[in-house]
Amino acid sequence: MLYSVQRRVAALLALLLMGITPLRAQQPGGGTVVVRVTNAVDQRPVESARVFVVNTNYAGATSAEGRVTFRGVAAGTIAVRVLRVGFVEQVKRVNVTAGSTTTVEVAMATAAVSLAAVVTTATGEQRRTELGNATSNIDVGALTPVAPVGSLNDLLNSRSPGVTVTSGTQTGTGARIRIRGSNSVSLSNEPIWIIDGIRMTSTSASFATATGNGAGLNTGGNNPSRIGDLNPDEIESIEIVKGPSAATLYGTDAANGVILVTTKKGKAGAPKWSLYSEGGGVVDRNTYPTAYSLWGKRPGETVSSRAFCNLQRVGTGECVADSTSALNIFNEKDLTPLATGNRWQTGVQVSGGSETVRYFVSAEDENEVGVLSLPTFERQRFDSAGIPLRSWVNRPNQMNRRSLRANLNATISPTLELAFSSNFVNVAQRYSLESNSTAGLGSQVFGGPGTRANGTVGTLGTPLNGYRAWTPGYSWQEESAQSVNRFIWSTQANWRPFSWWTNRATVGNDYSSISDDNLLYRGEGPPLTATTRLGSRGINRTGTNNLTVDIGSSLQYKLFGLGLKTTAGAQYIGFRAALASTGSTQLAPASQNVSSGTSPVVAEATTITKTFGVFVEQAVAIHDRLFLTAALRSDQNSAFGTNFQSIVYPKFSASYILSEEPWFKSPAWLNSLRLRYAYGQSGVQPGPNDAQLYFGAGTTNIQTADQPTIIQQALGNPNLKPERSAENETGFEAQMFNSRLSLDATYYNKITKDALIAAVLPPSYGLVTTQLRNLGAVRNSGWELGVTAQLVNRSYFGWDMNVSASGNANVVESLGDTPPQIGTTNRTVAGYPIAGYWAAPITGYQDKNGDGLLTYFADSARNEVFVADSVVFRGYATPRYNTTVTNGFEFLNRKLRFTTLWDIRKGNLWYNNTDRIRCTRPNCSGRNNLLAAFVDQATNIAASEAPQRTLDGFLQDGGFVRLREVSLAYTFNPKLAARLLKARSLTLVVSGRNLKLWTKYRGADPESAFNTTSGTDAPSEFQTIAPASYFIFRFNLGY
Amino acid sequence: MSISPAKSRSSTAARFGVSLALGFALSGCQSANDRLLAVTDPDIIPPGDVKTAEAAVALANGALNTFRNITGGAESTWLFGGLLADEWSTSSTFIENDETDQRRVREFNGSVTTMIRNLYRVRTRANGAMTALNAYSPTSKALIAEMYLARGFAEVQMASDFCNGIPIGITNTLPPDNGVPLTTAQVFALSAASLDTAIATAVGTDAQSVLVNRAARVARARVALALSDFASAATFVAGIPTTFAYQHTFSLTTGTNTIWGQGLSSRRYSVGDSVEGNARNIRVLNAIPFASSRDPRLPTVIPTTGSANGQDGQTYARTTTVYGQLTTLDVANGIDARLIEAEVALKAGNTALWLSTLNALRAAPPKLGDVQAAVLTALADPGSADARLSLQFREKAFWTFSRGQRLGDLRRLLRQYGRTEQNTFPQGVHYKGGNYGTDVNLPVVTDERNNPNFKGCVDRNP
Repeated sequence: MLYSVQRRVAALLALLLMGITPLRAQQPGGGTVVVRVTNAVDQRPVESARVFVVNTNYAGATSAEGRVTFRGVAAGTIAVRVLRVGFVEQVKRVNVTAGSTTTVEVAMATAAVSLAAVVTTATGEQRRTELGNATSNIDVGALTPVAPVGSLNDLLNSRSPGVTVTSGTQTGTGARIRIRGSNSVSLSNEPIWIIDGIRMTSTSASFATATGNGAGLNTGGNNPSRIGDLNPDEIESIEIVKGPSAATLYGTDAANGVILVTTKKGKAGAPKWSLYSEGGGVVDRNTYPTAYSLWGKRPGETVSSRAFCNLQRVGTGECVADSTSALNIFNEKDLTPLATGNRWQTGVQVSGGSETVRYFVSAEDENEVGVLSLPTFERQRFDSAGIPLRSWVNRPNQMNRRSLRANLNATISPTLELAFSSNFVNVAQRYSLESNSTAGLGSQVFGGPGTRANGTVGTLGTPLNGYRAWTPGYSWQEESAQSVNRFIWSTQANWRPFSWWTNRATVGNDYSSISDDNLLYRGEGPPLTATTRLGSRGINRTGTNNLTVDIGSSLQYKLFGLGLKTTAGAQYIGFRAALASTGSTQLAPASQNVSSGTSPVVAEATTITKTFGVFVEQAVAIHDRLFLTAALRSDQNSAFGTNFQSIVYPKFSASYILSEEPWFKSPAWLNSLRLRYAYGQSGVQPGPNDAQLYFGAGTTNIQTADQPTIIQQALGNPNLKPERSAENETGFEAQMFNSRLSLDATYYNKITKDALIAAVLPPSYGLVTTQLRNLGAVRNSGWELGVTAQLVNRSYFGWDMNVSASGNANVVESLGDTPPQIGTTNRTVAGYPIAGYWAAPITGYQDKNGDGLLTYFADSARNEVFVADSVVFRGYATPRYNTTVTNGFEFLNRKLRFTTLWDIRKGNLWYNNTDRIRCTRPNCSGRNNLLAAFVDQATNIAASEAPQRTLDGFLQDGGFVRLREVSLAYTFNPKLAARLLKARSLTLVVSGRNLKLWTKYRGADPESAFNTTSGTDAPSEFQTIAPASYFIFRFNLGY
Repeated sequence: MSISPAKSRSSTAARFGVSLALGFALSGCQSANDRLLAVTDPDIIPPGDVKTAEAAVALANGALNTFRNITGGAESTWLFGGLLADEWSTSSTFIENDETDQRRVREFNGSVTTMIRNLYRVRTRANGAMTALNAYSPTSKALIAEMYLARGFAEVQMASDFCNGIPIGITNTLPPDNGVPLTTAQVFALSAASLDTAIATAVGTDAQSVLVNRAARVARARVALALSDFASAATFVAGIPTTFAYQHTFSLTTGTNTIWGQGLSSRRYSVGDSVEGNARNIRVLNAIPFASSRDPRLPTVIPTTGSANGQDGQTYARTTTVYGQLTTLDVANGIDARLIEAEVALKAGNTALWLSTLNALRAAPPKLGDVQAAVLTALADPGSADARLSLQFREKAFWTFSRGQRLGDLRRLLRQYGRTEQNTFPQGVHYKGGNYGTDVNLPVVTDERNNPNFKGCVDRNP
């Protein structure tokens, strides 16, 4: 089938090529066009403006001198279009004479509202106004110098409507990113990433060792992310392709959206140096729950203890309460495992070159120490006992990143341009075992009683001081570290043999060498099991390779007065990850060598996927105000079933600048109005071996001899194909009030069919647990609204505002013939959202006997906590409504800029799994605190005493308002900068991140989650240290 | 086709050339396509490569590995059955463990789901290995018999531990057939058929054949007991030496003893007792005082301080040294044979034979795990039928501690001897909150509802 599609594509292309005369052919003796772009206000050169020769493939960016040159332009009248964010688009017509140079002067008027003018698409750069789909562009180059941004996740978070980012909590951990909701029940819902034209490895859950005491041999919490390897300061812009309507040409795997990263490039001109450095504090300002113990006596007892009593038993008379004791370890100076962390980074960048060769070189060193710190009482123990205080015990969470980038752009000839991007990254980071790890911090710091006097660490004699079973010094003696050496390179060639024909080829590779290390010396660590303190050493070495080959060819021509552009291309993506793992436990004393362990573990794993796709796109411009685009992409993938060869995704879009129609009578306040519509399809591919029936090998011990085994490991599915998501999107953009107000509204409706469901197989089959089948359907519909306004625009004062809001409705329309997927709190049920929260509701509570306590009685006349019998849908697991409000105020002749970013999320529940497990420890307020609020008492009673055992009370309103970012940036007058530091520019910035939270959620933070990098659609808090606040000082120096 | 009024600077030949080049490029992509997308994953073995005698043996080894997982190679009903009965108490943070100990097991209990899946996998993998052995290594009779033993033993364990309504697929095909729910008695009958075949196949005189034959006979006798065929039960185990043991073994490289791992090592399970709570002041009705009886067959440490808290960090976990990290586990042994003979004698009213059989074991105690008990005081006849029955089952409970028999035995007490749930299973206040529930078996889990024939347990009767 693929062959036939490809043949059709080739035939179509050939037909177009043979039958149509191009508008303008390049000839060796053509003319040279020099475009010089200046700011109309001060006549200073405008750098990085995008310049296009209309209806040709000539395009380029202006140098630091505001200049760009096109050679070999065919003689005749041409139109030059210039676009630059922050300026009003300009078009100039000039005559080109063969053999001579024509200079075009373009003065750009500043725009009140800054919108990206040019966006990157799968077929090359395109004017934003020509696209039928909504675009989201983050001007990273402008953002990083002034915003408190430490990672790419910080860059994405709260900056684009429809994009929801939930970051991990420890320093260096990744994030969960969803664009326009979750499409898939069983596959990844994460977008794919493309950097400088090549596929970037973006896996999140990437930490594990061969040994180790975390859950699943990871930390029990969030994992580092390959996205986090990148240095935000090297990035020029990020564009977010939100869904299938726009992502079709990115092929199979793009249904969850595409994030396009463009790194900084050199500009022609003298070398321009940028130096920057920042430093600051990382502070945990969260309020964590207090542990309570209820002391009392059973009838007949004389000694009060905390072993038996709880509020229920007091209410039933099984226990007489004496008192409640309370302890909040986080509030005790000598006990708290939290301290102020720190962060600093220093970087230098240089850019320059000639019009023939431009370069950009960047180097940065970044270090962040998280908030986890060995408590004072533990430090004293180590000192007094002479226990070596290893660096990872002292500060278990730390990240160091070094990045070196060199980008080159060369104009080899008037027809050939080459670009080379390279980035070497070295990351060294370590993490604390945390949330979902018995050995880790969370279960100890959240699980102890309401008293310091709770015994010792097993038989080791260390006072627990209120920690549950052991103290942080024991947990943190286990090192969990990851180091990464990563090299990303790409080469792009643009060959323009004629002005009407452009060919591009991109080849690149993203290679990572990852080493996950675990070390616990013999005699150290928690007494988790009988062998834990005998030592362990685990190493995972993983090499990932992500190869991209991307070729395309575009022809521009005119037909019936229409501007036409035909593009065809092919793409190959090859991904390979190879893991070699070794480890051992029960090490020799003082040894950190895996070979000294008596209980060895070895493993190997390989993942290979390959995708080949071809596409053809036809764009039509009608009078330069109606733009129609249609395209097809066909993919074949190594993961498809043997009965399924290829898939074809279509797309269509229309963009109509209505306000440019002569007949359109625009009111005075309306400057422009554009209507958009787009339809497109894309997919997500199954896992590399999901289609195959196969066996796996292992070992067992039979009659005291180790023997090799073979076991069937997968049932396979020869009919397996990718999920297919189809999206309709429509919207409009309007500029109003002298373009000081921009409004962008979008409605989308996306349905994923052939949704891959990990169909749970009946245990009675005696096979694997699940089989992937194309069974389901998931619908996401929603709206997005973006408002950008320049409210005040004076020379001495300015006020700009950006509001972006979105809403999403997620519904599983069908699970095929499989029954609902039922978990403890989450269910995926047809008619309801993916992984929604379900529980038997607490319908009310009443202190009938007035004793100040809520008590469950089987006798309904006496019962004080009421729970419905049936389990029903209780709410979304992630926010449905997101609103971000950014305000920028500029003072002191607009040299001082004050920016605030408010984040509002609503419409979801957040599972307070921390409090759930605390009630079983038991130390939660609702179970042990005589003064506990009724809502907390009812929550505990319903979970532990009522027959329904409902966790409803722990599913809490996850809505919040957060002051996410504040920054204050002062830009010095260039003369002053020169006088002070002989610098071209100087900016000082003070900023803060995650500064204030308002919420009804009763846990630490409704963004606190231990599993954001696990691929879950129901992130939740579970014994988790919540997100910290950042306070950063930064300077940017230009030379 | 109309063309642009703009002047063309390219020749028709050039345009044709471009078209041809692009078409050729795409065609080239087509021809290279299959090679581009070819993937060889070293982690997997294609079905076509599993067609040799050696592979058949490796498949059988895989089945035996899974067999080990339903005893001591993984957390199995040997632990969870004991949790639901009185052998073990929970000292874990897991809801799954707590609710099982509290006898309020939910249908979607994740741990039970894994356990029943492993039980079914033993059947499927043993069937697959039998097919392969018959095809490629038909002379491996003892190994083929062992596959029947594994299948039959898994069926015994399912019928002993789970509710009525256990779906069993009969065919050995892919995709598998949707099994029809069977009563536990019907599953015991299936098991009898599997074990009878094992016995009939393991007829050689080599050590392996003898071992498998004896193990199958012990298991078959347990089936006979469960089906109230007491006379046959005694016949099956007649002549099996008390020293006999069919064992699952462990190594540091292939997996260690999980009863040790979950018990003594991780302290997620606490040895059961008739008093609970750290203050040891919560009475558990009907529970055998496994810990506080200080029986030398089950040496137990009962902490009185928090120095050996359970994995939950709060329960003073009672630990036993019966099993160590690599201690072999008796799947079937001569003690089982003697205890079956004793029960048959008791059932037949032969009190003297019953008592002498029990006391013979006590006089020369076989080693249990790592524990070699000294000679135990002989038992005296308690005098009443009811007391004798209690003594028989108590004695058996100590001899077979955590070997997957206690829950089935408690159920038999209800089913065959007229005892009630109220006077047999743990009752009263549970030390982790609430009271004990009423479960007397484990549920077939929610995942099985993907089988259209399954609508939940038929009943939760014993």
